[in-house]
Amino acid sequence: MSLVRRFRNLFQREDVNREIDAELQAHIDMYVDDKMRQGLSHAVARREALLRFGNPTSTRERVTAADTTLSLGRFWADLRYAGRQLLKSPGFSVTAILSIAIGIGANTAIFSSMDAVVLRPLAVPAMDRVLTVVEHQERTGDDNVALANYEDWVHRSRSFEELSVRDGVDMSLTGAGDAAHVHAEFASSDFFRVLRVQPLLGRLFVADECTAGRDTVAVLSYGFWQRRFASDPSVLARTIELDQRNYTIIGVLPKSVQYPSIGELFLPFAPTPQQLANRSDHEYLVEGRLREGVTVQQAQADLRSIATQLAETYPATNRGWTIHAEPLLDGVNGPLTPLYYRLLMGATLFVLLIVCANVANLQFARGIGRRSEIAMRTALGASRMRILRQLLTENILLSLIGAGGGLIFGWLYLRLTLVFMPERVARHMSGWSNISLNGRAFAFSLVLALLAGLVSGLAPALEALRINLSDQLKAGSRSTIGASRRRWLRNIFAMAQISLAVALVIGAALMAKGMNAQLHIADTYAPEKVLTFGVALPEKRYDKKSQVAWYANSLAKLRSLPGVTHAVITNALPYSDYGWNREFQIENRPVMPGKDQNALNLVVDPGYFSAFHIALLDGRGFNPGDSLQSTPVAIVSRRFVAQYFPGQNPIGHRIHMGRTDTHDPWVTIVGIADEAKYTLWDQNQYSVVYVDAAQLPSPTTSYALMTDGDPLALAEPARKALASIDPTLPLDSVLTYRHVLNDQLIGLMYAAGMIALDALIALFLAAIGIFGVMANVVGEQTREIGVRLAMGARREDVLRMILARASRLTGIGLGTGLVLAFLLARMVANLLRGVRPDDPLVFIGIATAIALIAVASSWIPARRASRVDPLQALRSE
Amino acid sequence: MPKTDLQGTLDLLVLKTLAHNGALHGYGIVQHIQSASNELLSVEEGSLYPALHRMEQSGWIDAEWALTDTNRRAKYYKLTARGRKQLQQAEERFDQLVKGVRAVLRYA
Repeated sequence: MSLVRRFRNLFQREDVNREIDAELQAHIDMYVDDKMRQGLSHAVARREALLRFGNPTSTRERVTAADTTLSLGRFWADLRYAGRQLLKSPGFSVTAILSIAIGIGANTAIFSSMDAVVLRPLAVPAMDRVLTVVEHQERTGDDNVALANYEDWVHRSRSFEELSVRDGVDMSLTGAGDAAHVHAEFASSDFFRVLRVQPLLGRLFVADECTAGRDTVAVLSYGFWQRRFASDPSVLARTIELDQRNYTIIGVLPKSVQYPSIGELFLPFAPTPQQLANRSDHEYLVEGRLREGVTVQQAQADLRSIATQLAETYPATNRGWTIHAEPLLDGVNGPLTPLYYRLLMGATLFVLLIVCANVANLQFARGIGRRSEIAMRTALGASRMRILRQLLTENILLSLIGAGGGLIFGWLYLRLTLVFMPERVARHMSGWSNISLNGRAFAFSLVLALLAGLVSGLAPALEALRINLSDQLKAGSRSTIGASRRRWLRNIFAMAQISLAVALVIGAALMAKGMNAQLHIADTYAPEKVLTFGVALPEKRYDKKSQVAWYANSLAKLRSLPGVTHAVITNALPYSDYGWNREFQIENRPVMPGKDQNALNLVVDPGYFSAFHIALLDGRGFNPGDSLQSTPVAIVSRRFVAQYFPGQNPIGHRIHMGRTDTHDPWVTIVGIADEAKYTLWDQNQYSVVYVDAAQLPSPTTSYALMTDGDPLALAEPARKALASIDPTLPLDSVLTYRHVLNDQLIGLMYAAGMIALDALIALFLAAIGIFGVMANVVGEQTREIGVRLAMGARREDVLRMILARASRLTGIGLGTGLVLAFLLARMVANLLRGVRPDDPLVFIGIATAIALIAVASSWIPARRASRVDPLQALRSE
Repeated sequence: MPKTDLQGTLDLLVLKTLAHNGALHGYGIVQHIQSASNELLSVEEGSLYPALHRMEQSGWIDAEWALTDTNRRAKYYKLTARGRKQLQQAEERFDQLVKGVRAVLRYA
């Protein structure tokens, strides 16, 4: 290929030249040979040959040119020239490269993280064809799938290559270190087929093993294998005990597929005939892989028609149910994480824009000093294209070096984000452990670098070409020809920087304020003085009676620990976004069709209300008289009364929690409690029905221990106290309440923190920008200032003149920035709860702060202007 | 009008020479054109070698070092398939040019 050959020739110039010389020499020699054969003497023949041949050097040059005519040669020369130019102004180069490195580094880091978590969290081939399928009821929305319905889908649907079913269950693990709760997924063997996942170690279970009796094998998730077994490759064939049953470990899943993210173990799902016939327990999760060419809509329509048939055949259980299918990717992270990432990526690209504006500004400043260089080159015959290309090459070189630095900066930035993410939160993000600076990130930074080089270089380069040759050569390097236009462009860049910075800083401040409000939302509970942990009583060993006994015993033990002021249980803490939202019926009141009737069902002990400052508004609280033997009672929240008993007294009425077909008892309302909020992100407002753990115990619950001292110091005594009742029972997530709340907010904290960092960088760059512009204005106008001073202007006037100019720039930048910020804030507020777009305090505060920073950064140049010595200024021109 | 110029004519002459003679070195090409044109045409070395190298880079001709009859090392050129196609097109273009120029001369 000739292109390859030319490229090669480029780097083997010496060889090429030698070969051409040899060829031309051979020509001359043959000519001499012929002439001598015709009778001429050697000397005469040689003279004639050389005369005829002409200048050998020029011929060789032209032949060489034919061998390397490709712009590559010029590009190489441009690159070397650019390198020399950059070395000549190290101050400029270092500033530009550093700011590009920061801009590209931050972008690369955020992109890598986003790539791993949002764009491709799972290494699942053709992931767009993998769907999650749920059942959907008009009244209550999406729900899990009933197994008999799933079986019918498998048999009747034609849209899927495979469908799989699974059920997540908490189990207690023994026989591998401390007893602990683990999250196991009972899955059909097709689950692995749907994901097309291959084991990292060992094998995966097969359909044959999904039958009762043969189902005692376990596959570990990568994260669990790492945490619990220290990545021990000899883990295969080991036996572990789950809920008092032995399982043999047969395989480990790869790091690149951690789905579902909470799944620690995968066990074969061997359904019983009763389960297979059940159409009312909506308990299972379904994933499926579409056939080639089938769309999500077609698959959904297919399943919906099956659902319609089922509703006709089984009206009692299936009427009103339809199906909703969505791509797996949509469900992997939930709605907030991708949102944060998009927000962050946007903000970080903003920073890169500011960097570009900054570099462009620096280039403008440098362009002034280079005008005579460019004029000289033009005079010597360089075309505009040629010079433009050379200037752009310089910018791209700058950006590429910056991108190199950016990769280092990005690596640091990533390390920082990884270090601050608590493992217990990261575990719930499928792609988190895959975050790294990979080839895609590298390509991304390269593309950004080239774009940044072009964006920041084009305007200054075009401007640099816009010179009047003869004027320029006549006037010398320090004149200010065309200065007004140039200054106008530079002002635009400086103003753009300020306005982008204003928008970013205000956005960050609003988010930080929103986050702060969320962080302090639970302060009335003094969450840093509360220890929380979870307990799950295995139902095989604990019947209702022993559950009640356990709670009574454990609470008594915990309350007697020194330092504990309150010890209470509840199955959902306030602001935990947790809880069991159940349907219910009111006695002697038929449920209106289409009327949604549900409430959070919380199981608490009598002390819960006083510990969490929940006032009793009417009736009575729970008391020791409420027991398994007495009539079950309930306390309802104020919202419950407003919603279901408006204007009436609910006390004495009976309600039944759960669907009509469940065996839960009817409970009598005995009291009304004030509101407490159980949601943080969930926007729904729930009514609450509290029942007494001594009457209707729940096998899983959270404990809250309140103390005046350090709550974590209570962890060990509490563990010991409970172990004295049942040593095999593990405690889950032993954390302060503050930690629990913060974990809920960690996404927002991350986003706010990163955006604050972006905003700081933006502010810093904008300050540099203003400084640069004003320093140059002063530099260019030294002569004018000298004249003014010589004509009698006072130094204060000069100072005021320069500051006024800076203020004008800042003012316009601030104005556009505020508009931009307002639009941005409204967008962010729509997306993020807790963020108010119309916070005048933030807007005014930030605007003032930035104005001060801008004026401060123009103070030094202004000072210098006022100190100009008129004599020297006039002489130096 | 077919695009043609002097350089195109040189290319044509070289390609035709190579098509006629097989492999030939630069000096041989000069000699051949001179004798084949009854000494009417003389190719300058200063133009020939850049043209040869350009055509080599374009893949019209291939080059190889070999010994001459008189035992000198010389670079021999020969036509490639692409060069053959190029020659055909160049000949057609040249015919057109000659026809065109003739017509004009006759008219005047």
